[in-house]
Amino acid sequence: MRKIRLRINGDLYERDVRESKTLLHFLREDVGLTGTKEGCGAGECGACTVFMNGETVNSCLVLAVEADGADLQTIEGETAEDGSLSAVQQAFARHHAVQCGFCTPGMIMTVKDLLQRKPKPTREEVIHGIESNFCRCTGYQQIVEAVLDVTGQLPDSEKEGLKYV
Amino acid sequence: MLHDFAYAAPTAKDEVFSLLAEHGTAAAVLSGGTDLLVNIRSGIARPDYVINLKGVSELAELSFDAGQGLSIGACVTVTKLLADATVRQKYPLLVSAASQLATHQLRNRATIVGNIVTASPCGDMSSPLLCYGAEVELASASGTRTVALQEFITGVKKTVIRPEEIVQRIIVPTTYVGGSGNYLKLKRIKGHDLGVVSVAMLTYATKIRVAIGSAAPTPLLLSEFPIDASAKTIKQAARAAISPIDDVRCTKEYRAFMVEEFIERLLAEVHA
Amino acid sequence: MYETIPADELKTVGRKSPRVDAYEKLTGHAPYVSDMVVSGMLYAAVKQSPHARARIRSIDTSRARELPGVRAVVTGAELDYRVGLYVVDKGILARDEVRHFGEAVAAVAADTLMIAQQAVRLIEVDYELLDPVLHPLKALEKDAPLVHPRLGDYSYMEAAFTPVPGTNIANHTKIRKGDVEKAFAEAEWIIERQYTNPSVQHVPMETHVAIVRWQPNDEVTIWSSAQSPFTLRNLFCTAMKLPHRNVRVIVPYVGGGFGGKAGIGIEPLVAVLSRLSGGRAVKLTASREQEFSLLPCRSQLTYRIKTGVSADGRITGQHMTMYWDSGAYADYAVNVTRASAYSAAGPYEIPNAWVDAYTIYTNKPFGTAYRGFGHVEFHWGIERHMDLVAKVIGMDPVEFRRRNTLKAGCRSLTGELIRENTGSVDKCLDAVCASINYGSLTKQEKERQKRTGMKIGKGVACFHKAPAMPPFTATAVILKMNEDGTVTANLALTDYGQGSYTAIGQIIAERLGFAVEKVKVAFDCDTDREPYDWQTVASKGLILSGNAAILAAEDLLARAYDVASQALRCNQIDLAHDGEKIYVKHHPESAVTFRQMAVGFAYPNGNGIGGPLIGVGRYIAQGLSHLDKATGQGNPALDWTYGAHGMIVEVNEKTGEYNILKVGSAFDVGKVVNPDSVRGQAIGGMMQGLGTAVCEGYIYDEAGHLLNPSFTDNKIPTSVDMPLEIECMVVETAQIDGPYGARGVGEHPMIGVAAALGNCLQQATEAEITHMPMRFEDVWRAIQKREPVDNWITKSPYGSCKSSPQVQGHHPELGC
Ligand SMILES: Cc1cc2nc3c(=O)[nH]c(=O)nc-3n(C[C@H](O)[C@H](O)[C@H](O)COP(=O)(O)OP(=O)(O)OC[C@H]3O[C@@H](n4cnc5c(N)ncnc54)[C@H](O)[C@@H]3O)c2cc1C
Ligand code: FES
Ligand code: FES
Repeated sequence: MRKIRLRINGDLYERDVRESKTLLHFLREDVGLTGTKEGCGAGECGACTVFMNGETVNSCLVLAVEADGADLQTIEGETAEDGSLSAVQQAFARHHAVQCGFCTPGMIMTVKDLLQRKPKPTREEVIHGIESNFCRCTGYQQIVEAVLDVTGQLPDSEKEGLKYV
Repeated sequence: MLHDFAYAAPTAKDEVFSLLAEHGTAAAVLSGGTDLLVNIRSGIARPDYVINLKGVSELAELSFDAGQGLSIGACVTVTKLLADATVRQKYPLLVSAASQLATHQLRNRATIVGNIVTASPCGDMSSPLLCYGAEVELASASGTRTVALQEFITGVKKTVIRPEEIVQRIIVPTTYVGGSGNYLKLKRIKGHDLGVVSVAMLTYATKIRVAIGSAAPTPLLLSEFPIDASAKTIKQAARAAISPIDDVRCTKEYRAFMVEEFIERLLAEVHA
Repeated sequence: MYETIPADELKTVGRKSPRVDAYEKLTGHAPYVSDMVVSGMLYAAVKQSPHARARIRSIDTSRARELPGVRAVVTGAELDYRVGLYVVDKGILARDEVRHFGEAVAAVAADTLMIAQQAVRLIEVDYELLDPVLHPLKALEKDAPLVHPRLGDYSYMEAAFTPVPGTNIANHTKIRKGDVEKAFAEAEWIIERQYTNPSVQHVPMETHVAIVRWQPNDEVTIWSSAQSPFTLRNLFCTAMKLPHRNVRVIVPYVGGGFGGKAGIGIEPLVAVLSRLSGGRAVKLTASREQEFSLLPCRSQLTYRIKTGVSADGRITGQHMTMYWDSGAYADYAVNVTRASAYSAAGPYEIPNAWVDAYTIYTNKPFGTAYRGFGHVEFHWGIERHMDLVAKVIGMDPVEFRRRNTLKAGCRSLTGELIRENTGSVDKCLDAVCASINYGSLTKQEKERQKRTGMKIGKGVACFHKAPAMPPFTATAVILKMNEDGTVTANLALTDYGQGSYTAIGQIIAERLGFAVEKVKVAFDCDTDREPYDWQTVASKGLILSGNAAILAAEDLLARAYDVASQALRCNQIDLAHDGEKIYVKHHPESAVTFRQMAVGFAYPNGNGIGGPLIGVGRYIAQGLSHLDKATGQGNPALDWTYGAHGMIVEVNEKTGEYNILKVGSAFDVGKVVNPDSVRGQAIGGMMQGLGTAVCEGYIYDEAGHLLNPSFTDNKIPTSVDMPLEIECMVVETAQIDGPYGARGVGEHPMIGVAAALGNCLQQATEAEITHMPMRFEDVWRAIQKREPVDNWITKSPYGSCKSSPQVQGHHPELGC
């Protein structure tokens, strides 16, 4: 066991943690922030994506002890104080970019990071930007549209979506 | 779930060395952790002691000087390398390969040195570093030694590193600065994947340097070709050097075929 | 139901409406079982077999039991239970013999997961290796080892299935229609070929997870990431010999299922661990790796098709043989076999048909339901075959399809009459052909070919599917009015992402005439509280539960009108309502609000009438029948959803590398309830279909070890793997008995995708590919016409990939 101090979504935490515990399990089990999900535990799926010191990481591949002193942001910190959804979350809702929802927290972290690095990503850049996160349900298209819509770049021709023939 | 281990995050190299001297093969060095933690989770690695190098600030240094070349410290992440203007300008082949390594999240953690120490035949950084003639600087309590990258990796997941040593940095000489190059990697999907087979090509002044990944137990550097070498010559040399295998990712037949295809494409880029 | 209401009169159905679960999921607040902790909870770990087939000589658990913190250890020898959905053939843990790589042989519950995993490592199993039988065709050979020597002793659902004791055949379904031999004798052409595909994983992003508390008084609570709470309870009670009232299944949010969570999985094992721990709750979370071998997959299929065609391009007769590789247990595979048999020809009229569909046991992880329920696999064969036949007879593949599609007046393989309102394959086919500009290359496409040096191919695939379910499948919805006049619906159809609750909410709002915000469809299915639903499978949810929802709304309104007519002292026939109140039509100011009636209406003097307003809707499938066992004739289909995919692909003819430029898909959905949800299913399903087509598949070595049980070597599509362009289209031929005319479309988008890709590749390069997935190397081999290497990956006959163009066609004159 080792004592760590860190900030999560602005709140300070001080905990004793097993050296072998991953940051993902620390967040979910020790801190009770279960919004961050485990899809593989091996760095492949992106479901566990969180911000650590301003960069996204796969929290399944970080030891909690490595986060000593770090500043983290998880999905739980994405909504405003009053519980209202962020622009990214609202766009996801508008575009049905959520189905089972299991990839969603990690996906939102990834999108947020992408938009911080590239405030107006092209469609191509959005597609490459979310490559790190598996979504088995949506087929990604509505997620891409949601991201383009956040930045006001979704062409009107694509807003209707379904075509009736 | 990972097995229990002890953990240290030293802030000075000497501490690292004394911990390694004390724990020997029972210890594992943690850099980005993207290989080590995966291996611990799957039971392939079972260290009793994990030593995080990231607290040693000098190991995070990425610097360039005209004499020695590029120095990539043990804790330099792939993202850091990609963001470096000097690297982008002087070592484009490194950028090409690094940008194809795993995902953005992974690259934020994964280090260049970790990639080399892992010594996987499919490691994306080996081939471009071989093309640039990189050297590996090993350090321990008893001093440092430098080994050419070619000699550093000796087999599948095998290197010359001794239990009491760490790799403290990779040195990429200036010999080929000004050269241009590209890295082609065959994947099973268009999204992130390990390389099924890969070829790096660097052209510099009068020379062409070619290295190949996932086609032999170690990444291979072919002997230098003159700038006007034909595709046929290079392909022949490649054919003679590689010894690909059949595995779940590919057959040796297709691996061999794609090596030659990539050589043709890369050469066409050179001539274009 | 209500199929005739003109679209512009509908206020909610057919219009955009946000998902009811968006907020919970977007904020990370939605609770999944994997997030849950129950007080006093222990953690479980499982010892799995490293062998495909072996006798268990002994299991030494003594060291595991001695480990501090271990609360229960169990092996198969202690468990005298059999479970099974249709054929009761499976133990909770392997007993005496392990039948597949990864099978559970022992399990532990401990204070922490780490202790449980440590204990599992201390369990020693002494195995005597036996020769596994790995390929379904090998398993049919006379001297093949029997995976279940006691098959004859197992109970099974006799109305639907036919196991053959003394063999590895878990089921044999027959369809006989007309006279095939005669049709062949008269045919101008006879074309035969075989198509194959490997097992694949569903890959829900949330792995299987269950928490079970089995109290000493035999009251059991199960929290599970499951699709079908009632079927889970039923199978659990049957296996454990417990009264249904004792067992409560709770399903909160579920992180995807795709059929893999349809039946019963790890719950019985977790339950026995709980009981052995004195009634403490136990949680088992499957690792990603365990998803591949401890839990079931989709069956491998070998499909042989022989088609007789007339001179004018009409199919006159077709002989179809399906060898479904069930793996070690029958689970859903027997029903996949049955459902595939009666749909086996695709959406085409086959006047003379003969289908033999076998479910075959082998020593591999077992197959279960997976989105499409067999149709993804056999449409790969049928729709590749349609292109082959067209090529052999020298006809355009789309034209050949058009001549043979099911149309009003045709009869299905089981003799069912197809009507105008069944839907239109042709409209879907026309739509996708237009979408991809089928038949020629545009100017841009020609330029693109020049620029890239790649060859562009265009192809299509049609498909159909009906829900595979018992003919008497039933469901119910309970609609409760809250004190403020809003309503809450309870149902046991689960929404694990497909959007059913959003659509059901819209249907209820529509029927009540309420704003959709006033309707809540409650998450967390609980068998103690929700009314019965059979299962959340088969694309039957919207039709059956949608109808039940309409009936529940009707029932609630009838009760409200009853109260209102008393309160307003007038005939019910003179009443009308809006979203707030019921009023007298000729005196609209005379009104009573729903809020006033919600929990009972009170007169000014305090007298009350009515009581809480609750509507109940029950619905059972109507007019369906079992299939005759000898001929397969009968009426199994609640509805048929037809559709087609058109695809544009560019191929590097030298290397086999390819890019998917466009997919245009069309579905006859009857009526769109929520356009964004339909599109979500359409694209999500199409991409899952591409996964199957492009990269996914189980790879075994000759000993039956699964070689790729993780994302490292079992890739699924990422965003970068999307086609460059996607177009989703719908046709609306109302389903007369569907809610507002709707029919199911959850599974369909996945069907036919692989065949469309195969057809494009063939059109561009002449590559004859008969096995999916189509990796670059497969395409390369097929283009090069290289020796068909059986499973070039593993050098064993049982790996995942091969390409073997074995076209057998003959024509009296051409002699080809
Ligand atoms: C999902 C996923 C995808 C991946 N995709 C790719 C890919 O596309 N291409 C690719 O090349 N790789 C890939 N990898 C592998 C891995 O990310 C890289 O090899 C990475 O560069 C390793 O660096 P690291 O810092 O994370 O190494 P670590 O895990 O920290 O270390 C790797 C090994 O080297 C040892 N080590 C580390 N640093 C030192 C040192 N300074 N001295 C001595 N020993 C040391 C460690 O003890 C360990 O044994 C992938 C991994 C994952 C999990
Ligand atoms: S859980 Fe971390 S990447 Fe999958
Ligand atoms: S919404 Fe289910 S995995 Fe993305």
